[in-house]
Amino acid sequence: MYIKQIKVLVKKELKDSFLSPLIYILTGLFCFMMGWLFFNYLMQAKTLTTATMTQAVITPIFGNMNFIFVFLCPLLTMRTFAEERKQSTLDLLLRSRLSEMQIIIGKFISNAVLILFMLSFTFIFPLILAFSGYSDWGVVGSSYLGVLLSVMAYLSVGLFCSSLTDNQIVASLLTFCILLGSMLMVITVNATNNYLLALIVQYLTVPFHYEGFVKGVVHSYSLVYFASYLAFFFLLTLKSLQSRKW
Amino acid sequence: MELRSDIAIDIKNLSKSYPGRVALSDISFSVKKGSVHGFLGPNGAGKSTTMKILSGLIRESSGEFIVNGKIGFLPEHPPLYPNMSVQDYLQFVLAIYSPHQQNKQSVIDVMEKTGLSHVADRLIGNLSKGYQQRVGIAQALVHSPEIIILDEPTVGLDPAAIADIRTLITKLKKDHTILFSTHQLHDVELLCSDITLINHGKIVVSGPLETILENLKTRMTIHARVVNFGEAEKKKMMSQFHLESVDFTNDQEKKNVFLKITANAPDSLKKELSHFLAADSIGLLEFGEVRLDLEELFKQMIH
Repeated sequence: MYIKQIKVLVKKELKDSFLSPLIYILTGLFCFMMGWLFFNYLMQAKTLTTATMTQAVITPIFGNMNFIFVFLCPLLTMRTFAEERKQSTLDLLLRSRLSEMQIIIGKFISNAVLILFMLSFTFIFPLILAFSGYSDWGVVGSSYLGVLLSVMAYLSVGLFCSSLTDNQIVASLLTFCILLGSMLMVITVNATNNYLLALIVQYLTVPFHYEGFVKGVVHSYSLVYFASYLAFFFLLTLKSLQSRKW
Repeated sequence: MELRSDIAIDIKNLSKSYPGRVALSDISFSVKKGSVHGFLGPNGAGKSTTMKILSGLIRESSGEFIVNGKIGFLPEHPPLYPNMSVQDYLQFVLAIYSPHQQNKQSVIDVMEKTGLSHVADRLIGNLSKGYQQRVGIAQALVHSPEIIILDEPTVGLDPAAIADIRTLITKLKKDHTILFSTHQLHDVELLCSDITLINHGKIVVSGPLETILENLKTRMTIHARVVNFGEAEKKKMMSQFHLESVDFTNDQEKKNVFLKITANAPDSLKKELSHFLAADSIGLLEFGEVRLDLEELFKQMIH
């Protein structure tokens, strides 16, 4: 029953998203940028005779993909709760049999599906490489897993920010600030020359864990990291939704 | 708190305060099962707050309430998804409110009841405001609740749409207990069996409409226009008839005096008063009773 109710919400969310132009605009933008980058790296790879295809194309393209999602995720999640608030339909959901957690999970899954939709267009890159004999599928697989996990982390931040306000622009800016801010923190801490602190802060940022995935290494602590990241922001979103009752 | 079987909603000493502002202070009233209960009051009196607490959207600060049955709620702004078709929307609401009652028939029935059948496949965002309000009401009905709470269902609609909503409420009366807030006193007189009047977060009066109007009838307000009237006449009148108050104002040209007389007395007083005023020294020109209706009550209570 728990899952079935979430499914009802996901279905409605997806139908709504695919009927509105936003997802197509974002996907178009994403494909354009990724295609362009892929083309450039491919051209460059010809001159780098010592580097492998993985080093010359796959690693940088996934690094860029992750960074592009830092910009795209806030735009995708901004409407999630903010719009519901504005239409006063959030109360409709909150009064229903759906628990707050079910609502959050449903919203999260539907956003993740949208990201998968966007990502699916990039499958063509490894396919193109495969025609010229590329076969390091382990790295490609772990890179996709890394992108997916990082994006899920971004989405959870986006959901939280969206639940705070009924203004979509504020929600997306706030998400963006948190995401970029947490990345910039590493630079700041590095400047303090405190090794231990730097290690701790580094562990708390997404790119550090993402790096492993792109190299084809899946650390178990990275999986723990992403799981706790999601749990933390889910909890914050839950508290934010519950605070409406006060 | 004990639940009585003839009561649909029972509210006891309910309070709600926000930092620096008291929205509801210690209100108590009950809604009888099967009644249409009008909830009246000026803007900001606490109507919406009460309704939100009853529907579980916000938590009370203190006090308690019992709701005897499922609630269907139409908030002040109907919660609609503009990109969904009417039928899909109602199907969705049914699915998240009553997961076990997943049949298409109840959606079709509700659309029939609310007159939405012919717009079932249209997007909600493209409907007129009157129709959107109907979708809002349909949304409150679709999971077949025993109690329906409507927050200002007629506000902002054109007269024809208001009449439609009124007819709809009359239809719903048979199967549901209805609590609705409104500014339209005409609605109340036409639809309600009971009313509760609230102002500044406090209940002013609550009870059956007839009893409240009956109490008003024994209070008489008479307007009269005479040629000549002064303090002496007022004194004489007050002592002779045990009136509550006599107010008089001279008009600009000093040719007429307007009187406003209020009294708690039987009908026969009117005749005696008119005789008194018809005397040569006063000279009665006009004499009429002002019927105290809800509007008058509303005005008196909230000032």
